[in-house]
Amino acid sequence: MRDASMQSWNAMRDASMQSWSKMMIDFVNSEAYSQATGQWLDTYLTMSQPFQRVIETTMTQALTRLNMPLRSDVISLAERLTNVEMRLDDLDAKLDDILSAIRSLPSPQQTAEAPSSNQAADTRAKAKAKEAH
Amino acid sequence: MFSSPLPNVPPELESELKRIEENARTLVRVSTTHATIAQTPKQVIWTLNKAKLYRYVPVVPAEQRHKVPLFLVFALMNRPTILDLRPGHSFIEYMVKQGFDVYLLDWGAPGPEDKGLKFDDYVLEYLPRAIRKIKAVSGSEEFSMLGWCIGAILSTMYAALRPDDGLKNLLLLTAPLDFSDKTAGGFVRWVNDAHFDPDKIVDAFGNVPGEMIDYGAKALKPVENYIGSYLTLWDNLDNPRAVEAWHAMNTWVTDLIDMSGGVYRQLIGDLYRKNKLIEGKMVLRGERVDLSRIRANLLNVIALADHISPSCQSESIMTKVSSKDQHMLKVKGGHIGMMAGSGAQKYTWPHIEEWLVARSD
Repeated sequence: MRDASMQSWNAMRDASMQSWSKMMIDFVNSEAYSQATGQWLDTYLTMSQPFQRVIETTMTQALTRLNMPLRSDVISLAERLTNVEMRLDDLDAKLDDILSAIRSLPSPQQTAEAPSSNQAADTRAKAKAKEAH
Repeated sequence: MFSSPLPNVPPELESELKRIEENARTLVRVSTTHATIAQTPKQVIWTLNKAKLYRYVPVVPAEQRHKVPLFLVFALMNRPTILDLRPGHSFIEYMVKQGFDVYLLDWGAPGPEDKGLKFDDYVLEYLPRAIRKIKAVSGSEEFSMLGWCIGAILSTMYAALRPDDGLKNLLLLTAPLDFSDKTAGGFVRWVNDAHFDPDKIVDAFGNVPGEMIDYGAKALKPVENYIGSYLTLWDNLDNPRAVEAWHAMNTWVTDLIDMSGGVYRQLIGDLYRKNKLIEGKMVLRGERVDLSRIRANLLNVIALADHISPSCQSESIMTKVSSKDQHMLKVKGGHIGMMAGSGAQKYTWPHIEEWLVARSD
């Protein structure tokens, strides 16, 4: 009994939600809504800007008097750090390239082995020449 | 609360009260706490400013893995954790299990010092460096790049500006690229209104607050986002799996990121209003973004119920690129649901994987 009544209630609720949703989607997609939100945002930003400027000026004066770094100082420092990071990243990549180039070179052991094998070949050639005589 | 039987209360009513109490507890828990998301094992292999590049720990032996690594680029104003939502329901986990070497770029949250960051910086400073690292770590000169939403804009720009950088496969998901239809979707209408001034917003805030962008996205479908979502949860409070899924999604949805002012100005001014990208007029650091220079294999995935990037914004890229191998895939779902909804594992991921497998060895 409870389940049946809940089911019919849910069905009714979903149907009304669906029509409400469609109506709201049409509303937010309308020119009137675009204009209203645009105007509201514009008014808010215009009204809040003078207050923001006053706060900024007051903070700048207060921090300067207290001999403290300003927000703009911290921001500029952070920007410089990012630039340093980029340079480090480039250096890191170059180091990787150099390391891989070094690794691709024959190792000193291999280089040392190479003449000795030549020497062995010489010895074999000399022995062959003796045999021929 | 109802640990001992209540006097003079019928057992049916008591059990019903217990059920309601349990549901209320669950409701409070999932709407006031954060779920643990993004659990696929990974390691940070590169960082720059707030950006981090992750490599996911492979689970398939190296000899069975696909040779071409997969690089994921998500949007700027939400966390990329949506790609790795929860175990058993994570695109990244799925792709790692299919033998892909997966990399994810997390842009991080811009600070006040980043308010000047533009598409120019993201496309020509961050992406090439991250890709350089991927090449170094994977040992592969070729790579696949998957861009989702604004990540798709960034990927498209990169593919056009650096076509010879080893990009083999370009995958675009719900890509908002063509804004010629000024009536398609709420966003286009709102930002084209004469009273809407992006410069004023950026001047006031520096970076555009995540809450503001979130409001815009949610206001496109207000009933679904503000009421329907909670009703769905209410209806499923008895179903632990549905509750956990909702909890994880809500954790992601409420984790908002500001958008750098520079990018916002370009997004609204150059793309939404002047449609510069698709018309070939977008210029980044003096270089024109010519889409015909894109030659990588292209998979363009469009969500049929996408109200944020309607399909008309994503389709025309197919005629602008020079890619000989190009496919358009239309899948069920919305802007996010297409990749993270309950049907994603069935309708989206296998198609992406199948397309990519054939082009990754």
